[in-house]
Amino acid sequence: MKTMSFSKIWNKTKTFFSKPANIILLFFTILLTATVIYPLISLVLDSFTVQSISEAREINEIWGTAVKKGDFTFAQWPNLLFNANSEYSLYFFWQPLYKSVLMALLACVIAVLGGGVLAWLITRSNLPMKKYISAVFIFPYIMPSWSIAMFWENFFKNTNIAASNGTGILQALTGICVPEFLVYGIVPCALVLGIHYAPFAYILIGGILRNMDANLEEAATILKSSRFKILRRITLPIVAPALISTILLVFASSISSYTVPAFLNANNSFTSISIAMRGLIITAGKKGQGYVVAVILLAFSVLILTINNWFTRSRRSFTTVSGKSGQVSKFRIGNKPWIKWVVASIIVLLVSFFAVFPLVSFVLESLQETSGNYASMTFKYWFSPENFDVRITAQGQSSQGIFHNYTIWRAFGRSVLVAAVVALVAGTFGILIGYAVSKNRRNRIANYVSSTAFLPYLIPALSFGAIFFSLTFKQGFQWLNVASTNNEWSAVAICILVASIKFLPFASRSGTNAMLQVSGEIEEAAIITGCPWWKRMTHVLFPIQKSSLISGYLLPFISCMRELTLFVLITSSFSLITNVLQFYNVYGMTQMSNAVNLLIVVFVIGVNFLINKLTGASIDKGIGG
Amino acid sequence: MPRIELINVTKKWGKFVAVDNLSMIIEDREFVTLLGPSGCGKTTTLRMIAGLETPTSGKIIIGDRVVFDSDKGINVSPSNRDIGFLFQNYALWPHMTVYKNISFGLENLKWKKEQINARVEEVMKTLQISEFRDRYPSELSGGQQQRVAIARTLAPNPQVLFMDEPLSNLDAKLRGEMRTELKRLHRDTDSTFVYVTHDQLEAMTLASRTCLINKGLLQQYDKPLRVYNHPTNLFVADFVGSPTMNFLKAKAKKVSDTVINLEVLGLNIKYTSNEPVKLTSENVIIGIRPEFLLIKDNGAIEGLAYSTLPSGMETTVKINLKDTILSAVQFGAVDYAFDQKISFDIIGKSIVLFDEESKVSIALGACEVLK
Repeated sequence: MKTMSFSKIWNKTKTFFSKPANIILLFFTILLTATVIYPLISLVLDSFTVQSISEAREINEIWGTAVKKGDFTFAQWPNLLFNANSEYSLYFFWQPLYKSVLMALLACVIAVLGGGVLAWLITRSNLPMKKYISAVFIFPYIMPSWSIAMFWENFFKNTNIAASNGTGILQALTGICVPEFLVYGIVPCALVLGIHYAPFAYILIGGILRNMDANLEEAATILKSSRFKILRRITLPIVAPALISTILLVFASSISSYTVPAFLNANNSFTSISIAMRGLIITAGKKGQGYVVAVILLAFSVLILTINNWFTRSRRSFTTVSGKSGQVSKFRIGNKPWIKWVVASIIVLLVSFFAVFPLVSFVLESLQETSGNYASMTFKYWFSPENFDVRITAQGQSSQGIFHNYTIWRAFGRSVLVAAVVALVAGTFGILIGYAVSKNRRNRIANYVSSTAFLPYLIPALSFGAIFFSLTFKQGFQWLNVASTNNEWSAVAICILVASIKFLPFASRSGTNAMLQVSGEIEEAAIITGCPWWKRMTHVLFPIQKSSLISGYLLPFISCMRELTLFVLITSSFSLITNVLQFYNVYGMTQMSNAVNLLIVVFVIGVNFLINKLTGASIDKGIGG
Repeated sequence: MPRIELINVTKKWGKFVAVDNLSMIIEDREFVTLLGPSGCGKTTTLRMIAGLETPTSGKIIIGDRVVFDSDKGINVSPSNRDIGFLFQNYALWPHMTVYKNISFGLENLKWKKEQINARVEEVMKTLQISEFRDRYPSELSGGQQQRVAIARTLAPNPQVLFMDEPLSNLDAKLRGEMRTELKRLHRDTDSTFVYVTHDQLEAMTLASRTCLINKGLLQQYDKPLRVYNHPTNLFVADFVGSPTMNFLKAKAKKVSDTVINLEVLGLNIKYTSNEPVKLTSENVIIGIRPEFLLIKDNGAIEGLAYSTLPSGMETTVKINLKDTILSAVQFGAVDYAFDQKISFDIIGKSIVLFDEESKVSIALGACEVLK
């Protein structure tokens, strides 16, 4: 009897493992638990742990306890949140949090309004020049968010503002000096983030509008509703779930954005929650409190995810019966043909201003002898071998012209390496997860894997960095800490690890969408001919969904190239090209930082263009579907 | 009242011509089906009449109002054409309950609340969906969704009702039931129905007139039985009828004004046309409906039973005649052994003769096999 049951279990196990999808699921269950769930738990625990001797001293002073480094404590939370002592909590937590929430809300409004209105115009109206507009409109999303921030500063800075570094383009051209609150602080931060995420909203909402059955709107037209009523009563309610998802995702990304506030904060008037958190962790030596902030940002995301699920799970949620979409009667802008051209021209101007003009501004800024002085053009910041700043040279780094600058090129090389490896890992994992999930729909393990793979998306980049930053202090992981090893390869290694997980959501989403679109019979037909699994993947499934799967590789690559927030805790100032950019900016070398920015943006757009031309994949396909 | 007239309507997408110079008149209270294969332009035609699509050129008149005229630049919006439209996928609004879906159009007409309520209850009762009034479309089955869609379309009492393959998403049994009810509904609502379908059976059974379209061109516009018995060309003859008509290439030799000798598959056939024929070439095609091949002992022609498909009430017999497969229909269930010898006759006066080159029907008549 006993042997019988053993052989039964053995056979069952064999059957289970004979399906590659099951092996993949098991592998990712373990991997994602270790890389997503475990760090999350450990971050929460860290916020309850005394992180250093100075922290222990402070806690003991206030609470009259006798904790040592590494002890469990509840004190970090009240110390950060409710410390009335010279209004510590107010300045280091509540105000930054309030400002960040406000900034994120503003950014949401701008992104969703801008992206949504444009998506509607592109899909539902007779707007001319759609091709140009939709191609160029994506640019601000491909660009690093802070490059728009830099452009903003380049354009609006002026001599009326004390913290300003020279004359901006606007002042140089027209003499107009805009007030300080438009150049630095919460307003430009929100605007820049809004502009950065507007294409994201455009892609998401546009995707829904494009897939939405046009008959739904036509049915209302025939029943004598006005255009406005259709928009209000039919289109908006149906797009609402996507709209809410977009708002929540933009909010989650904006609230924790570190780079944009860091760049548009010349006079330290605007401390965002992310800046406060980095300050606590890096400069103030209060890691424990920093982790508390990370946990709170995380809680925001969990809340956002819950709200999102609640909205999308209502019984009104609609099942699309795909109809004859695409045959929509287009909304006519204005009753005279010239009106639509005026509207289109305004949009083209606006889009070009935020998408194309920044590139021009980076070129101009990098060519000025004195920043802001347009009479002093020079190529020396590109070609000169001399060092421009002794403070930088004193740190053993180069401040030579771009083409002689080893600091820049080494960091650039490391960035490309990180981005390439991350793209390879995340993209491949994404496809595998997509495959396994699509083969096991409504299976509990598959659900676990697919939602854990999506979780990193919702964890704010800075918190995510913080999780792994805290890991590098643990026994056995210290070789990953660049500050203690003083070896840039430590940074490269941990960046690859962190970014592969952080950017997995993009890849797994596009992988799952792509795999779900391939009917099961296609693979089954190959199974019956005796085709082995890896061959089915490489010869059948991959070629069928080539373009959207390649998007799964492209998206992590591009995101990684331009990422700073995620890496800022776990890298040195010279590890990656984005670090170097920020470093030069901190040292006031605007020409260099603009040139580096140009380098990144042109590289990213170039790669995107090349991949698009070669394979037909493009980033909007990855998120849109 | 709502008579619909199309005059030289053309629709082009770039170079592709979806509808080519179509002219037709739909009389008041008719039930007209637009029939044709997928992509032939029938849906486009319907959408143009409804105003959902703008024709490239031509003129459309509904009742005594010109709703579209490319020359005068008239284009009345669909909301002002007083029509109802039933979509293939129903296009129910997912975020509204059944009641809301139906009442929405009435609200737009600025009806009073009690009026709306009364009318919604009335149509829900007619279509037997009263119990679903508070459900959302995703909570209904396909057939129920269909009924809601019909109720929504009927509620404002449209004088003209357009339907775009409304039954194609239903299963066979439900489709049959809905067909019966649509025909009833046509009588009860007393309005003009225009119905798009690619299912020739639907077109035959429902319509008072059928309009066959192929590649954007009108092929024939007649009563269904007329289309069946007097097809104007090979396309129509082939498209209408199931099993399809048998087509045999033949060599024709004129004997007199009405008599032609045909040579087909080694048989000599004397074809007597009902009316005088103008024969333009000796290459012709004979079209014989399956029911005109009568299987019987001592028939004039002998073939082999290629395959027998009994369905209970009738049996389709595929006959192998010198390697050409013919379909015959026999009443009742019979089963022939494979390759069993079968003899049969060609009967009736509705054997069609087509010109092979132009594919146009040139004669209708009877066949007699000569020994």
